[in-house]
Amino acid sequence: MKKTLALILAAILALSLCACSGGAAQTSGESGTQAEASAGKYAGQTLHFYNPGEYVGENILSDFEKKFGCRVVMDTFESNEQMYIKIANGDVYDVIDPSDYMIERCKQEGLLQPLDKSKIPNLSELEPGVLAAMDFDPSQEYAVPYFWGTVGLIYDKTVVDEADLKAEGFGILKDQKYKGNIYLYDSERDMMMVALKYLGYSMNTESEKELNEAYDFLHEIVTTMDPEIVTDEIIDAMAQGRKAIGIMYSGDAVYAMSENENMGFYMPETGTNVWIDCMVIPKNAENVELAHEFINYVCSYEGALDNSRTVGYTSPNVKVAKEMAETDYEGIDAYVPRTDNPNDETFHYSEAGRKIMADLWSRVKIAAANQ
Amino acid sequence: MLLLPVLLLVFYAFTNSGNGLISFRFTLQHFAKFFTDPDFVSVLGRSLGIAVKTTILCVLLGYPVAYFIAGSDERTRNVLVLAITLPMWINMLVRTYAWIGILSKGGFVSKIIGLFGKPDVEILYTEAAVLIGMVYNFLPFMILEINTSLCKMDRALLEAGNDLGANAVQRFTRITLPLSIPGVVSGISLVFLPAVSSFFIPKLLGGAQYFLIGNIIENQFITVGEWNFGSAISMIMALIMMGSMYLVRRFEKVVSGGKEDRR
Repeated sequence: MKKTLALILAAILALSLCACSGGAAQTSGESGTQAEASAGKYAGQTLHFYNPGEYVGENILSDFEKKFGCRVVMDTFESNEQMYIKIANGDVYDVIDPSDYMIERCKQEGLLQPLDKSKIPNLSELEPGVLAAMDFDPSQEYAVPYFWGTVGLIYDKTVVDEADLKAEGFGILKDQKYKGNIYLYDSERDMMMVALKYLGYSMNTESEKELNEAYDFLHEIVTTMDPEIVTDEIIDAMAQGRKAIGIMYSGDAVYAMSENENMGFYMPETGTNVWIDCMVIPKNAENVELAHEFINYVCSYEGALDNSRTVGYTSPNVKVAKEMAETDYEGIDAYVPRTDNPNDETFHYSEAGRKIMADLWSRVKIAAANQ
Repeated sequence: MLLLPVLLLVFYAFTNSGNGLISFRFTLQHFAKFFTDPDFVSVLGRSLGIAVKTTILCVLLGYPVAYFIAGSDERTRNVLVLAITLPMWINMLVRTYAWIGILSKGGFVSKIIGLFGKPDVEILYTEAAVLIGMVYNFLPFMILEINTSLCKMDRALLEAGNDLGANAVQRFTRITLPLSIPGVVSGISLVFLPAVSSFFIPKLLGGAQYFLIGNIIENQFITVGEWNFGSAISMIMALIMMGSMYLVRRFEKVVSGGKEDRR
């Protein structure tokens, strides 16, 4: 019995080995025909890419593999914090794709290596407004934008009066007219941002008085407005028009709006969060050369188009953003975030600030649960 | 080795670490913070409440099932026990995720209720959903525990009762029930303890809005990063559980009427 088992196992092993080598041969074969010049250089090499889940175009990785004769292995993470733990523990990746504040943190802690911009000529195709907004890395020394967007109010145009939005901004969240009809997004960073921006403060404030006022604002919402606090289920819920108002990332709003034409997206004049997710190369990357090639490819027209078309988030590539706004996402203004409001800010890394916000937001949630 | 995490928890609960483990001072402020904040206390009350409800439901549902299993012949019994155990081979988290689909709007349950003329009922993200999830997850423990104690019972006792003129109800209340109490008690501890500190069931089925004490502890450790406060709440929970276990054991002694002394 044992012998048969061993035999079967051996057979399976042999088969899978054959399959593996067959696959590899196939990849290199394809690349030989498609891109003679560049293929030789990277043949047989592997790029390790660490990216948030559901955050990549459907063809971009295989196209890149074909073009450069290499292999791409992508791992996904759920949060920047999860990514940080892995990188800080020395896991090896060639390209990672975190958010602005996390890049700032990794940079401060020496986890990243500077880019060789001469190897990323497609940088010139990116939106200057986005590059200018990168105050965590102003000259793209370490980071190159992947997607970007804002946080705003998604609303049902058939229920919400646009004059209310204009007059009240984020304050519409405590407008009794919409009681029981709003979603809050379960993220301390985004909800404290909403409150602080409504009050006219910086979202990066560490002033106790301002943070407490923000807490009071959120506390008032959960105790008087009967909101529902949700995470990503808000995207489908708003696409189905279950409630009238919600806090949402512009990229997710694009999806909800393309599913439901009654939805609108509004960014209050008092400012909001402009976020930029960027590609960076960690210090311990093994394949720096190929990493640059990959970053350059993602910035290119074809790479960026595939990414943006699949994911729905706004591309930093000027041409792609224009094309998407005119074709797939015509009339969906959430696809075109803004860079021209001086009140908008990027989020900055501060461990102390993060703790305070997390504590205040968890108290808001407890108060909501006790309603 | 077993004690180390617990000792660390106790240490954290009573200290206020300035920067890491080097500089700390002893304090009771975390406990004071918990009990002076009405929000925390009412969450604690709700957690205990839902755990008690879960436990009662598990006893009420689990006892008849266990009784039925124990009463069937050995082959059927083995199959039934297997059927009860089978779902436990699948990860709890995965099974709870499945309930999201069943309970959500347009899901199985709302379709069934829709047939009776009440369309679009959403049970997901209510206390009922949390209760269903908890009972579902913990009921097998209760059934198996009660079943074991019922199977261990000597059938000859029932025959003796019959011979002495006890009717079916009397045989149950005077013989079967007292003898199965140890099973019920260990079932209660297997259900109540995890139910009171569960955090993923309320998180998945109750939504972000539904906070139980387990969620607060998780939140303090994972998002807020206040390990000291989180540890203090865990300690409070541990003490409450110890207290309730003591009460249950006392209850067991009273119900089985000192029979254990005669053993």
